[in-house]
Amino acid sequence: MTQKTILRSDELSCPSCVPKIEKALNALPGVAKAEVRFNTGKIEVEHDPAQSSVEALVEAVRGTGYEARPAAF
Amino acid sequence: MSNLVSRIKSAFVHPARRRFWLTVGSGGLIAAGLLARYGFGMVEAWTALMVAAAFLAGSDIAIRAWRSLRVKHFSIELLVTVAAVGALIIGEVWESAAVTFLFMFGGWLEARTMGQTRGALKALLDAAPATATVLRDGDPVEVPAHMVQLGETVLVRAGQRIPVDGEVTEGTAAVSEAAITGEPMPAEKAPGSHVHAGTIAENGLLRIRATNVGADTTLARIIQRVEEAQEEKAPSQRMIERFAQWYTPSIIGLAVAAFAVTQDIRLALTLLVVGCPGALVISTPVSIVAGIGRAARSGILIKGGQHLESAGRIDTLALDKTGTLTEGKPQLASIVALGGIAEAELLHLAATAETGSTHPLGRPIVEAGRKQGPLSTLESLEEHAGMGLSARIDGRIIAAGNRRLMDTLGIALGQEGEAALDRLLSNGQTPILVARDGQLIGMLGMSDMAREGAAEAITRLRNIGIGRVVMLTGDQHGAAEAIAREVGIDEVHAGLMPEDKLELIRKMKADGAHVAMVGDGINDAPALAAADTSIAMGAAGSDVAIETADIALLKDDLGKIPEAMAISRATLGNMRQNLVIALVTVAGLLAGVFSGNVHMAGGMLVHQLSVLIVIANGMRLLRMPKTTAPGGRASKVATARPATVAARG
Repeated sequence: MTQKTILRSDELSCPSCVPKIEKALNALPGVAKAEVRFNTGKIEVEHDPAQSSVEALVEAVRGTGYEARPAAF
Repeated sequence: MSNLVSRIKSAFVHPARRRFWLTVGSGGLIAAGLLARYGFGMVEAWTALMVAAAFLAGSDIAIRAWRSLRVKHFSIELLVTVAAVGALIIGEVWESAAVTFLFMFGGWLEARTMGQTRGALKALLDAAPATATVLRDGDPVEVPAHMVQLGETVLVRAGQRIPVDGEVTEGTAAVSEAAITGEPMPAEKAPGSHVHAGTIAENGLLRIRATNVGADTTLARIIQRVEEAQEEKAPSQRMIERFAQWYTPSIIGLAVAAFAVTQDIRLALTLLVVGCPGALVISTPVSIVAGIGRAARSGILIKGGQHLESAGRIDTLALDKTGTLTEGKPQLASIVALGGIAEAELLHLAATAETGSTHPLGRPIVEAGRKQGPLSTLESLEEHAGMGLSARIDGRIIAAGNRRLMDTLGIALGQEGEAALDRLLSNGQTPILVARDGQLIGMLGMSDMAREGAAEAITRLRNIGIGRVVMLTGDQHGAAEAIAREVGIDEVHAGLMPEDKLELIRKMKADGAHVAMVGDGINDAPALAAADTSIAMGAAGSDVAIETADIALLKDDLGKIPEAMAISRATLGNMRQNLVIALVTVAGLLAGVFSGNVHMAGGMLVHQLSVLIVIANGMRLLRMPKTTAPGGRASKVATARPATVAARG
């Protein structure tokens, strides 16, 4: 069961972080699709919560150097 | 103690906070090093402190570079890491410390200012309340706003934000809709009124039946649209991103080549530092995010950078008349009493007769009649399809309708009647002739009123350089001319079919004009699609308008059009300024490096400054002043005006 989770970060300061975060998220198990939107600081992830939880996603983003939090929309 | 430990731990887990403290630490070490060398002449201490500073700031950069490399991404951090390590190896400890510190410090400032640029949207996000008070089994219960069930009753007290879209079932309140429409004047809400999530009840107590919750509310859809718009890349942004893709690797190539040719390792490392494309890649997005965010604050939805760019070039504006320049609802515009009857009596009789009518022209007459006093009762009614009606009131027969009705009933207009009819028609009004017992007693002139503020909006459009303002309408020439005169439009094309409008827009474009079309409704769709920029009004209530238009005005306020144009122009100009700043910086730095005038630390400083200047320049857009709409709503004026027109007639 994949679900779509939206994370938001206020810290994206340079578009070069976009591929970095996307690749880090895509490397997680159960992540079908990860998209980082630089202009709005929105990160959209389609993932299987059984394999990679929302916390794991936040942790992966943090690993690339940015703090993000889950958002309702 | 454990508290302190956990605080330190949290400071290091949170990336932004960790970077901040690493920056402060390395800055402190650099300051200590400078003091040691120039204050006390301790060169060894200076070297040690600089190396420590470089390691402190550089560790975070290196870790990020390594993590990117692991996912096969060449990052700017990699360039900086290589340069900093290289500088340490050749003994340039000052350069290494300064470069890493400046990179960290600049990054921290950039993240902060970039966050502020995104702030316009944050205000919208924050407008959505997290919780709602619903009535369940008669008791108020606090639940998350998106968990409210459709049809449930939500309680909103004075000062609270409304958590759902819905219909007022009980109570009245002045509701500030500024978050959604940008309109500063609160709107009065009473049972039956629709309210939007995110608006504020400034007084009173409302009970609202929820019709849309969570992601389905107008507010959520607007946020979604604004974000999509901000993400939609402008053509120039796409160009820059393509450019940036080969730019970073080519800087590495250039550095290697420069070293191979000159054998100057310092030159090569400096190239790596100044080669970060920071200001360039951020120049366009910053302007677009700020411009679209600024527009959203005023209830103007610009659907993406591409539309910002094309709207900024508009020199010709075409407007539909009905529903755009006008209210789209006919109003009683003049009363002509003939044969000695009082105007009030004429209106009273006509309004009473029209109470039995289902025709759209009937209702405004009834409303106007009720305003001056209670109406009489209809004793009987006969409708004449396509012509009007005749009714019995107080035993007398009142006929109200068009010319054909009078002809059919054999009622003569007489010289006076014919003259009055001509006058109404030439003023673009639709006449309703009224007769009593076979005698013409007067006529009512019906017309669609220009929106309040229309004339002012047209003037402002001309002032900001929209040289040609054109009215396109399917309506008759007289009616079109009357409105055009009132609002100050001199080019009128009347009696148009939808395809004629399309043809005219095409012709203007073929003549080299950049055309924006303002309209609503289905008959404008082809013309809207053909225009360079399509603008829809009153989009808050209509998904179709939000979906299809390039620019959607959430409120029926023509004053938003010049504001949207001004924001688009300012954004376009801002983007160009940013591009120039970025390109001049890069060119200047490269020239400086090759002429030997720019070294690593200086290069990094200039580079980071250019990024900050670009962001700060973009943020100017957020501070563009709001042009306030003229007070009072259009409907008030429309109902207030017949008296003055009647006095003239």
